[in-house]
Amino acid sequence: MAFPRTIDLHMHTTVSDGTDTPEAILARVKEAGIALFSVTDHDDIKGCQIIRSIRTPGDPDFLTGVEFSCRDEAGKYHILGYGYDPEAEAIRQVVELGHSYRMNKVRGRLALLSEQFGVSFPEEELRALLALDNPGKPHIGNLMVKYGYARTKEDAIKEYIDRVRFRSEYVRPEEAIRGILRAGGIPVLAHPAYGNGDQLILGDEMDARLRRLTDFGLQGLEAFYSGFTPRLIRDMLSFAERYGLYVTAGSDYHGSNKMVTLADTGLGDPSEWPDGLRRFLRDLREEGRHEI
Amino acid sequence: MTIKLNGRIDSNNAPQVEKEILDQLAGQAGAPLELDASGLEYISSAGLRVLLRVRKLHPDMRITNVSSEVYEILDMTGFTEMMGVEKAYRIVSVEGCEEIGRGANGTIYRIDQDNVVKVYNNADALADIQHEREVAKLALILGIPTAISYDVVRVGESYGSVFELLNASSFSKILAKDPEKLDWCVKEYVDLLRKIHGTLVPAGKLPDMKETALSWARFMGDYLPEEAGKKLVAMVEAVPHDDHMIHGDYHTKNVELQNGEVLLIDMDTLAVGHPIFELASMFNAFIGYSEYDHETIKKFQGFDFETGTAFWRKSLAAYLGTGCETKIREVEDKARIIGYTRMIRRSIRRKGMESEAGRAEIKLWTDELLALLEKTDTLTFSTGELELEAAAENLPEVQAFVDEHLERADCPPKAQMQIAIAVEEIFINIASYAYAPDKGKAIVRVEVSEDPVTVTITFVDHGMPYDPLAKEDPDISLPAEKRDAGGLGIFMTKKIMDNVVYEYIDGQNILTLKKNL
Repeated sequence: MAFPRTIDLHMHTTVSDGTDTPEAILARVKEAGIALFSVTDHDDIKGCQIIRSIRTPGDPDFLTGVEFSCRDEAGKYHILGYGYDPEAEAIRQVVELGHSYRMNKVRGRLALLSEQFGVSFPEEELRALLALDNPGKPHIGNLMVKYGYARTKEDAIKEYIDRVRFRSEYVRPEEAIRGILRAGGIPVLAHPAYGNGDQLILGDEMDARLRRLTDFGLQGLEAFYSGFTPRLIRDMLSFAERYGLYVTAGSDYHGSNKMVTLADTGLGDPSEWPDGLRRFLRDLREEGRHEI
Repeated sequence: MTIKLNGRIDSNNAPQVEKEILDQLAGQAGAPLELDASGLEYISSAGLRVLLRVRKLHPDMRITNVSSEVYEILDMTGFTEMMGVEKAYRIVSVEGCEEIGRGANGTIYRIDQDNVVKVYNNADALADIQHEREVAKLALILGIPTAISYDVVRVGESYGSVFELLNASSFSKILAKDPEKLDWCVKEYVDLLRKIHGTLVPAGKLPDMKETALSWARFMGDYLPEEAGKKLVAMVEAVPHDDHMIHGDYHTKNVELQNGEVLLIDMDTLAVGHPIFELASMFNAFIGYSEYDHETIKKFQGFDFETGTAFWRKSLAAYLGTGCETKIREVEDKARIIGYTRMIRRSIRRKGMESEAGRAEIKLWTDELLALLEKTDTLTFSTGELELEAAAENLPEVQAFVDEHLERADCPPKAQMQIAIAVEEIFINIASYAYAPDKGKAIVRVEVSEDPVTVTITFVDHGMPYDPLAKEDPDISLPAEKRDAGGLGIFMTKKIMDNVVYEYIDGQNILTLKKNL
């Protein structure tokens, strides 16, 4: 089969922490000459629903995507889901589970800030905060600056928000993987060597991680990633081969938030693509999942 | 331009660090960039991504003064492969430290109880250090016990590499302190030498000593009568290529005893080649360099010229596996030819023909060399003979000797096992009966011929005439309890080997076993 020359399966919009709206990202993807792309917002699929509604014939091929932040006793993971049915109950349930945990976290944090430092905000600000899709530390930080508790957002986080500690719940990797699979999608481990994005997981640790996650049903590894050196790409490809996993490629573009350009994945010419990536694209196409 | 990295770079501050770097680089895209990591304590993967992105704008970016901890991260993740990463070097002083070794490229000092540092003569020695590390690793993988350096340090204006060497004593030190240990040292020294020379090195991994020796021989052409010069070059050229390892500077300061284990150090001269090149440098170390002035060896090795000479002679005899003085002399002369060639060249280059001392030693060595060239036609020799007491306790030595040749010939393990059975049978026979009740010597010779590969093992003794083949084969169809004791061993030997011949010549029992491999 003919493969699309340029692909990028990992990018964020304003639905999570990117700076491009879904509309803007579609325009940029076209500009970059990308033939197949996926939008993978953190813990949300709204961006995909928007892209689907605005795509017109002749636009690049699109694959539904998502990046779930997961945690369990053994560690932290970012799990990508591709080609799921965005109407499926199973995927919405994972999104909602994550959302409810985060809401609990924001509420818990606000309560502790109030209790320990006497921080409080007007009712309408709180309502607006909780109405956000993914309220977090930066949003609380901004409010604290606005109401004079700190000089900068960074100070607010460092001096107050990070000092109130409490146990919070997280989506577990098996919950994310199961949800993606039930929605007809393919679960893939994001930037594997970097764990949750700020760790270094290699060798035996990586092996143990993959044994666990493949038991849960993980099907792929994001072996091509803008932040990987050729050595890390080689390491990840050999893990993918050992576990018989699909291979994907993504830039993790966040717009102007990070200095990453679209389509920067480390992937070479299609003639050099590994079998795991070819299988991934072929299987998706045969199932008609990226012609949406 | 140079930008300093400080403290920690992780997901908390990576975007900020990135912005700071980019601000400083504004308008300088593509210019050479050095990131000075002397203040960098830790870098997480978020920080690594920053480095990768900055490098996209500045492809020749280098990171310098990297601490060991950060270096390890950069090494594990492949950053060291794709960009220039230079470690921060610890500064070490060797003032007042004991000198424990000295070679062509550097001097080794003990810096504390557990560690030694090799300080390189060459000020810009990083490439040499890298080379030595690589060849030492290679040697270790191939089964040679050696120490691998774990750190590179700054020593004054030079670089040094640090090794762990606990409670170690060089053989030079042992010999200087305790001359009674000479025989023990010889045995260990020769065992290790055999091991080195029995080690096959994958093609292209180490330099070929023959090439080096050939350059010495050619250099000598200008200083010898034409015929002699030509003969010297032709003789070196005629030495067959050999892919077995040689150390290149195998003297007693480079062999260490550490917790009962014998270790080889100073690996930068590691090469492949015929053992004659090794013997030449050994001759120089123990005799050659001190032949003109006997005090030289005292300064270098710590023991006197007589001890050095005794050590060399005994080691050569043990290495050749013979007590035969003629044979030892013959091989020594071959070693001296290369040895003198090397020393004369060295002296001409270092001292020149102008100085008195230079002229004197050059004349001494040149006269010796010319005399040797007169009476010698080849530089090769065989180590295929072992002479020893015909006693059962010497069997392991005989087996080791035979095995070494079989391994060199890539003998399949099964054939090697079978041959061991035959060797045991014959040698124990000689040990038990040839001289009984007295004692006597046995000679074991091994030859491997090529095309087809055939191994020939010959046993010679001067005991009473005895033809083991004269005995009739045992009837092995009989049950064990009805068979005659004895005779089964020689029967098995005949089965195992392709040809067994007995001769009695000049008072010697000669039993020749042949097997096609």
